[in-house]
Amino acid sequence: MNFIPEREEDIIRCMKCGNCQNTCPVYTVTMMESKVARGRIRLIKAVMKGELELTDDVQESLLTCLQCDACRVTCPPGVPVNDLMLEAKAAMFKKGKALPENTDRIRMNIKEQSNPFTQPKAERGAWLPPELKKPRPAKYLLHAGCAISYAQSRIGKAVIRILQQAGVDFTLLGDSEECCGDPLIRMGDMAQAEEQIARNKAAWRELGVEYVVTPCAGCFKALKEHYADTITPLHVSQLFAQLISDGKLKFSKPLSKKVIYFDGCDIGRHSGVYEEPREVLKAIPALTLLEFPMNREEAVCCGGPLLGSYPDLAKKIASERVREAQNLGADILVVACPTCLLNLKEGANEAGIRMDIQDLNALVIRAL
Amino acid sequence: MLKNKAFEGVLEKIKNLVGSEHFRDSCEERLCYSYDATLDEAIPDAIVFPCSAEEIAQIMVWANECRMPVVPRGAGTGLSGGSVPVKGGLVLCLCRLNRIIEINRDDFYTVVEPGVITQTLSDTVAKAGLMYPPDPSSMKTSTIGGNVAENAGGLRGLKYGVTKDYVMGMEVVTPTGEILKTGTRTVKTATGYNLTQLFTGSEGTLGIITNVILKLIPAPEHKESVLAIFADMNHAAQTVADVIRAGVLPATLEFLDNITINAVEDFKHIGLPRDAGAVLLIETDGVKEAAVKEISRVEEICRKNGARSVNKAKDEKERDTLWQARRAALSALARVRPTTILEDATVPRSRVPDMVRGVNAIAQKYNIRIGNFGHAGDGNLHPTILTDERDKEEFARVQKAIEEIFDLALFLGGTISGEHGIGSTKARFMPKEVGDVGVRVMRALKRALDPNNILNPGKMFVQD
Repeated sequence: MNFIPEREEDIIRCMKCGNCQNTCPVYTVTMMESKVARGRIRLIKAVMKGELELTDDVQESLLTCLQCDACRVTCPPGVPVNDLMLEAKAAMFKKGKALPENTDRIRMNIKEQSNPFTQPKAERGAWLPPELKKPRPAKYLLHAGCAISYAQSRIGKAVIRILQQAGVDFTLLGDSEECCGDPLIRMGDMAQAEEQIARNKAAWRELGVEYVVTPCAGCFKALKEHYADTITPLHVSQLFAQLISDGKLKFSKPLSKKVIYFDGCDIGRHSGVYEEPREVLKAIPALTLLEFPMNREEAVCCGGPLLGSYPDLAKKIASERVREAQNLGADILVVACPTCLLNLKEGANEAGIRMDIQDLNALVIRAL
Repeated sequence: MLKNKAFEGVLEKIKNLVGSEHFRDSCEERLCYSYDATLDEAIPDAIVFPCSAEEIAQIMVWANECRMPVVPRGAGTGLSGGSVPVKGGLVLCLCRLNRIIEINRDDFYTVVEPGVITQTLSDTVAKAGLMYPPDPSSMKTSTIGGNVAENAGGLRGLKYGVTKDYVMGMEVVTPTGEILKTGTRTVKTATGYNLTQLFTGSEGTLGIITNVILKLIPAPEHKESVLAIFADMNHAAQTVADVIRAGVLPATLEFLDNITINAVEDFKHIGLPRDAGAVLLIETDGVKEAAVKEISRVEEICRKNGARSVNKAKDEKERDTLWQARRAALSALARVRPTTILEDATVPRSRVPDMVRGVNAIAQKYNIRIGNFGHAGDGNLHPTILTDERDKEEFARVQKAIEEIFDLALFLGGTISGEHGIGSTKARFMPKEVGDVGVRVMRALKRALDPNNILNPGKMFVQD
């Protein structure tokens, strides 16, 4: 089969050393060679060389890749695994391989309602106060993202309060906000992702937006990778760190807790934002910041990207991270991504682990 | 992807024994268990993930009845094709047997199952103030079972020895399906044949290890590190000889040649001089006073031998910096060309310069690129061949070069494998080292234990 022939060299470069096993969260819980980069690369090679068709098992092997890119960091020849997997998924979709039912449901929801959940587009901005429901020209645009708009509006409300308190002039798109396209890219539907991206860019251009600020790490990664020619992307933690250093955001209430920060892959390894969330946390009086032994570029994914499509796997991976945070003596596990938040909570529940898991914005609000 | 029909019945029985969730026979999974870290590949009929010695023993009894090959496998990180199922059959993956059963702080041993990852064992015993010294570069991924089966080495070989020096005993399922216990938990034992050492390094051809008793030692309290850069490889080699002659046994004595130094510079821009002939990374450890005294002696010897620079780490952060080049060596070389072949020909340490010169001459003769780095203290080099498996003509030259590297190692009094094993990739060269008598004796042992030749067939010996 003519399957990503231009990637042949990346595939040859895989030394099959197996180093990816120890960094792959999916392999760690499945212990199956088809669920780690080395095996996935071998399966792509098999399709490329005509040893295998695009079977359901090949598809599952590729779709269960978290795209966390941790294996690239320790890969001796530096195979660009993330790019390779994305390209393989896109080629698989283009060749008409139907997605599994639950994954395709997510895709169709985005296509029809511009969010991955079964939620109506017209109610996207329902959580917003009346004065913020209508977009207006502004330098800063707050892109809430699907997870926050529909499932975790508490985070969105916190961000709004923080920005208002710091005197930032910003707007939102409200009901006309759309999915950033990232989930579509992950499942290989590039054509629809490109449509989403084009629509978002046009809407932001119309308002003369310079900075798009988002509390969602997944959206932030997409903004960095696909929107940087139109706007300057900012994760809220970056803006908060700047506001703290400018003296516009001040914390008055101490938080005498041991807090461990979890580097989500989208804000961390993919976007290189490691220090700003830590700076924000360190600015909260009395807070003690702990670290995972594997942090920053080496951080281990929570499994969040699979919560919609392979929930059991995602929760199992998440419970490992929560257990680790607990063993390190943390009172609060803090994240800067709504997907990490949701998945870590699900993982903790599933495994019966009691752990206070919070979004960064919730801690900031508490300390104001 | 054809399956051997003769095995269908027995595979069904095995599936029922372990449960279908611990058995795979799809084309996709079979492909994913067809390889290790070499270029060799062969597709098994099925993969099984047993959870006990009893299950494995039953599998072996059934496998004998229909003469089905069984290939034990850990993490599949081997560098000689040891876990590649070259004759098809069943891959028996030991990753579910992954418990550390006991750590004994009074008698300094641990009992572990074969699927325990070596790094996990090392970290766990470290918490008890103990050390499991063998440290193969793959230790974050490779398993104890694989390490024992291949007699894996590592960076600390010179002072601390290799895996075989720490194996005190084991439980093994024999090829005919009996459960055998060898060795003891005592420092000394003189009871019968040393079966423990027979199975160590047997590459999964004589038995399937289901647990191992490993010796531990007290962790050294202090470490000192030095990085010395030499204009000429001979000066570096003289330094190695002088350090050891002076009675200093470094815990680590690593070497990078000029090609490796340049690859590291291209990759990481550490600031190593590109015209340097060799870099040595030397560490001493033990009681603080002793390690400090020894490293001063090392520094002195490096300077006496004309080192261009000698840097000693003042703290853990600086130690980390000194390690940068060595840590990056394989990654740097692996990025030069699409295919990387890592060999482990080993010579007596005094012959390291002859070996490096000889390997360079072979590289020149066949017009291929070979970087050399490795464990200079124990003569275990890693000639790393940088090539492209798609270029058939070049690859034929590579094969000839590999054979000449082995010949050279043997000529210098060395061995064709220091720490990777023979497996399928070096089987045809083994008679060169052990001779016809050696091969006959080994085959006799194999036949005595595995009369039907079903356990990891096609390894070590060319004809089965």
